Amino acid sequence: MIGINRRLLVASAVLATSGLVISTVPAQAFSPRAEVGVTATSIKLGVTIPMTGAASPGYNKIPSAMKAYFDYVNANGGVNGRKITLVVKDDQYVPTLAVAKTNELILRDKVFALLGPLGTANIKAVAASVNPARRGIPVLFVNTGYSGFAIKKTYPTTFSLFPSYIMEAKVMAQYIKETFPDKKIGLLYQDDDFGVDALAGFKQAGLTFAVKVPYASGSQGVSGVPATWIQKLSTAGAEVVVLFGVTSATAAALGTAAVMKYGPKWILGSVGGDATTIKALGVPVGVLYGAIGASYLPAPTDTTDDYIKLFQEINAKYNNNAVFDNNVLVGMNGAFVAVQAIAAAGAKPTRKALIAAIEKKGSTFFGAGLAPLNYSATNHGGYNGYWFGTYSPTGEMKPNGGAYTVYTTDSGTGAVVKSTYKRPAMPANGLPIK
Amino acid sequence: MYQFINTVLIGITSGAIYSLMAIALVLVWRSTRVVNFAQAGQALVSTYIGYAVIQSFHSFWLALLIAMLAGAVVSALVDALFMRTLFKRAAQGPIAGVAPIIATLGLLGLIRGVLGLVVGNKDMSIRPPVSNIGYTISGHTLAFSPLKLLIVSSVLFLMLILSLVFQHSNVGLALRASAYAPEIARLAGVRVDGIRTFGWALAGAAGAAAGMLQTPDGNAGLSPDSLEFSLLLVFGFIAAVIGGLESLIGAVVGGLLLGLVLAFVLTYISGSLVFITAFVVLIVVLLVRPNGLIGTRRVRRA
Amino acid sequence: MHKFIHSNFGRLTFFIGIGIFLFLLGNRVDELRVYQGATLAMYVVAISSLILLTGYSGQVSLGHGALLAIGGYSAALARNHLSAPVWICFAIAIVVAALAGAVLGTAAARLSGPYLAGTTLALAVGLPSIANQFGILGGEQGLLFDVGFPPMSLGQEFTQYKWYFWIASLAALISLWWLQNILRSRYGRTWRAVRGNEVAAELAGIHAGKSKTLAFTISSGLAGLAGALLAMTISTVSPSAFPLSLSFALLTGAVLSGVTTLAGVMIGALTLVVTPEIADAISNRFANSENVTTNLPGLLVSALLILVVLLVPNGPVEQMRTVRHRKRASTHK
Repeated sequence: MIGINRRLLVASAVLATSGLVISTVPAQAFSPRAEVGVTATSIKLGVTIPMTGAASPGYNKIPSAMKAYFDYVNANGGVNGRKITLVVKDDQYVPTLAVAKTNELILRDKVFALLGPLGTANIKAVAASVNPARRGIPVLFVNTGYSGFAIKKTYPTTFSLFPSYIMEAKVMAQYIKETFPDKKIGLLYQDDDFGVDALAGFKQAGLTFAVKVPYASGSQGVSGVPATWIQKLSTAGAEVVVLFGVTSATAAALGTAAVMKYGPKWILGSVGGDATTIKALGVPVGVLYGAIGASYLPAPTDTTDDYIKLFQEINAKYNNNAVFDNNVLVGMNGAFVAVQAIAAAGAKPTRKALIAAIEKKGSTFFGAGLAPLNYSATNHGGYNGYWFGTYSPTGEMKPNGGAYTVYTTDSGTGAVVKSTYKRPAMPANGLPIK
Repeated sequence: MYQFINTVLIGITSGAIYSLMAIALVLVWRSTRVVNFAQAGQALVSTYIGYAVIQSFHSFWLALLIAMLAGAVVSALVDALFMRTLFKRAAQGPIAGVAPIIATLGLLGLIRGVLGLVVGNKDMSIRPPVSNIGYTISGHTLAFSPLKLLIVSSVLFLMLILSLVFQHSNVGLALRASAYAPEIARLAGVRVDGIRTFGWALAGAAGAAAGMLQTPDGNAGLSPDSLEFSLLLVFGFIAAVIGGLESLIGAVVGGLLLGLVLAFVLTYISGSLVFITAFVVLIVVLLVRPNGLIGTRRVRRA
Repeated sequence: MHKFIHSNFGRLTFFIGIGIFLFLLGNRVDELRVYQGATLAMYVVAISSLILLTGYSGQVSLGHGALLAIGGYSAALARNHLSAPVWICFAIAIVVAALAGAVLGTAAARLSGPYLAGTTLALAVGLPSIANQFGILGGEQGLLFDVGFPPMSLGQEFTQYKWYFWIASLAALISLWWLQNILRSRYGRTWRAVRGNEVAAELAGIHAGKSKTLAFTISSGLAGLAGALLAMTISTVSPSAFPLSLSFALLTGAVLSGVTTLAGVMIGALTLVVTPEIADAISNRFANSENVTTNLPGLLVSALLILVVLLVPNGPVEQMRTVRHRKRASTHK
């Protein structure tokens, strides 16, 4: 019992190493010019995303939505005759797992590119450890608004799709200053980079708050915590309150405000403003009535929008008719843009060609997003603007003034301007490629 | 002034929720010397059953009753089928300290996985049985509503009933005896296994009540991955440890202390400090009283 | 022969032998395995630190992830702000975590089982949120921790992950060897005496509190090293890299290894690395719905855990020993 038993140690060491060796997959034989993950009939993409765990609700709907759109494309002939498959791995929102699973995707599953990974810390860890940049592996359309991933110098093979949190804060600040010039403004924000990025944007736009309430990520789930937020906001007399947090925090804040009879004008950030999810969390939909929201995509409930209409049809047929919310929309839209990128990479797509194609033709790509895509040889950032809407009594976000009016800006010191971008119509066959 | 009053009210009501979970943990600890991490999973199962009852019969009260019964049954089964075997096999040595923790953690994972398979990883919600709109006094809305009143009184009611049962019947004594000295208790004619399982059943019912009352109050969804239930377990455990793990009154005092300190720190210092404050409260209490506020001071197990 | 193996020199030779074996192995397997090997070595250090604490000194920690975080952040800060050489970063990680462990251990020595469990749990929940309070800690996205490229002298083909594997394996071997020696020393005997019977040990002149604090300090130092290794494998540190589930996973690994013996530490570490992968493979092969693929891995891991605790609570290594002792006893009759 005391000390080491050498035979057992040897035995366990042998066991350990044979475990490592046995399951080693023999290196695949490639024809000399075919790119990893590409065959004559298929293209394999991969994603790590939280499918289980505390951070998963909502986000775990994104992969199946992406898959649904790819299934639709595959049923209609694929991209240049190739069918797109997506390998999904659960990272539980833990960087250690994200790195391990991304390694599996790249080294075992041999994916062509990564599409739509989520979480700033995770993507950063993958970028540093797996180092897709050095391996030349494209990391397409990451699901985060952290402005850093749009910087080509730091992340040469990574492309972001969302407008950054800084852009959102700048556009929002402008809107608030114009619409509520003399009101007392309050801010409730998640005290990590998500909220801190937003604070930087608000500061730059010169918006000052009468009261700022930070909350620790996850603490919205602790009984009693949301009540302290509402109390602080109402005691300070905030008449307009900006919420820059995740959806569960928005739900907790709105629900608690209703029971404490506190009714300011709410302005919901795009991340935490998904009405469908807020309803699912048990907040009476009436509470949302009159709140203002921001988004770069059309409202998922807007069936007059040709993109929403088609995506909803695909959702019904290929996605088990999942509840069509922002997460489903984000997934489908990401896949929609990815299909264009892959097509643009040519008849014999390589990783290098894919990156070059997005840099060269990316600004002509389109999707459900109402702002333009801004890819270029120097910029890896996608959408750059937002529109504002007001929630109807039934929880649908309707654009202010009846039509989508988009304001664009950048993550730097650039001004906020009204966009003149005209989004191309959804092609009749639902395919953005020939 | 109103801010102060409201902070106190927020502290009391959130503390009451932690207390409910703490009571469940204390009951299991008293009967079998186990910190039951599966309690969160058992509460989830019970709450799902309650949810199903609400869907079919549209009565929260019936659902609460059935959820508590189901919680008791599930908990008793866990003990009878699972923990008894464990105690026979891992009774001695250092493993005896960690085996129950690991086993109940494994059970928690198992319950979540099965729930995920059965109901899917999506959110459901329960509507409050009574109004959750705060009472108004001279134009000011209080952070206290009929629902909060229900929660606080449930906690007091449970604590009173359980204390009475323990003090005025032999059950409490038998529970204690079975936990401390099972062999001697057995010789004295106590049906040790049955008594222990009874303790687990009571805990299961209390945990179910916590789940059923928290879900409509928190504006939080019910899902197998529920963050709220994990946090309920963590804060309930911290409350139980503060209170001293041995005592039901301790569980309630611990919950209220934790709730009040959190409410005041969040309101008057910073909203970011939730988790670190919980740690600081715990360590300060334990530095002063290593066996918790109302822990019985006895010689450590030799 | 027997004597040789049990001498200090013999043990050293033995560990060097394993080192050479690992070195050869590192050249034979693909890059994914090399990466997993580095993770495995990190788990070996982390789990052995828990085994020391729980199995030998009888204290329970539900929050070892917090100590790993302290080590990881210390190493990253030393690297980024002092430009310290890598091995100094690891040394700093050990020292800082050990200091934190000494403070915590002083409080812990007064606490019995569940109170200590509660305290360490609260620490694991509370500590990571500090990262957002101080700018120097880098907030939610954390800090980079770059141990640098492998030396050129190792050749062009030498990959980054192989370099991580070498560093982590070396660290694990040295830790295990050193831990072996400490457990055989006066301190090791003291810990076991206190674990066995605290009152009796006190009567025999052992200061139980001091002994426990020392065990906590050493365990924390090792945990700090494991944290730095973890940070190395993912090249970053961030609050979400040290979730509560990490602390629970380490405890699980310790139980699978058998908490009373270091000999099985490989089994626990290997299970932590390989099980999710096997579970993934199984669920992908047999599942036809997303619901199943999502939930099956967690379910399988939990079921395995429960089975191990129920069937071989003291770990496979102890189990084999018990069986052998029984056999021996019966043949001697």
